Amino acid sequence: MKLRILLADDHEIVRRGLRALLEKHEGWEVCGEASDGREAIEKALQLHPDVVIVDIGMPNLNGLDTTRQLLQHDPHFKVIVLTITDSDQVIREALDAGARGFVLKSDAARDLVSAVEALQNKRMFFTPRVNDLVLAGFLEKGQTVSRNEAPKLPTLTAREREITQLLAEGNSSKEVASLLNLSTKTVETHRSNIMRKLSFHSIRDLVVYAIKNNLIQIELPPPPPKSPAGPTAA
Amino acid sequence: MTIRILLVDDHPVVRQGLKTLLEGRSGWEVVGEASDGAEAIEKAKDLQPDVTVLDVTMPRMNGLEACRLLRRQAPQLEILFVTQHDSPQMMREALEAGARGYVVKSNAARDLLAAVEAVSQHRVFTALNGRDAAGVR
Repeated sequence: MKLRILLADDHEIVRRGLRALLEKHEGWEVCGEASDGREAIEKALQLHPDVVIVDIGMPNLNGLDTTRQLLQHDPHFKVIVLTITDSDQVIREALDAGARGFVLKSDAARDLVSAVEALQNKRMFFTPRVNDLVLAGFLEKGQTVSRNEAPKLPTLTAREREITQLLAEGNSSKEVASLLNLSTKTVETHRSNIMRKLSFHSIRDLVVYAIKNNLIQIELPPPPPKSPAGPTAA
Repeated sequence: MTIRILLVDDHPVVRQGLKTLLEGRSGWEVVGEASDGAEAIEKAKDLQPDVTVLDVTMPRMNGLEACRLLRRQAPQLEILFVTQHDSPQMMREALEAGARGYVVKSNAARDLLAAVEAVSQHRVFTALNGRDAAGVR
């Protein structure tokens, strides 16, 4: 029987590349594709894939919240998270969300097949950096934390995180309500609660929070070219 | 019509996706791939493609710098940017650097084939997300 894989990434061109890569492997098939987290959940519940591959930076519902919600629906889902960064925070959040694999997008051509194979054999797959972090966390476990850690902001509920992402992506309360099948009044109540919990006063604060907490991702432009070194003789 | 294409992006998976799309067109051939601007310049010299499809953000040498050098090295070569940057400012910089086309990565599956066709005929093709329809002139 074939191993069935669901692919979720907002870029069709990336999905095409991933599909070509995975379908070269005998016995695997891509049974479905999704272009955002909400569609991924819908398709996963409908198709029951053996492995779900989710990009972290998707619109409407990001990959981490998609992973959390999928596992709430059914803890047997096996999720591999694709990411452009392996910062400590992203790694911790992916592990916390319940991902069983973690692959950098830049290394996907090399690592993704190994990651799917690992999950197929009931193992997990992480990059060496994730393994180091997991080991460090394991060794530190039980020790008193005395480092200067920044005070944590209050935790948002899953619904509040979803709404925060949608507002930070530029949607109005009315648009969020329509996307989530809620009334505008309910969204506005959530919005006030979010702003109060986080002590924010503007949508700008919320956008910064969403970027810092990987609810949305931005790509920075390349630095300007360096000017030629030294003056030239006339 | 035969079009020889060089693909430049630091993510192999993106190159693979672009390649499957481009090679679906009969007569179009991806003659080479490069993962940064510096490698693109070397490959363009060897392979003499008609069109180079170029990403903006890459290690070693970014796409804008590569574009300027490629145009100097081979003025007949046409350059099409396929990038994450959905920004009029970035598009302006790309065209000023000598590119003939600009497509946003999230729309590449929709716009890429028309864009390659246009730039291969030395026509401008630009399309930003949600602002313009694909424009050719």
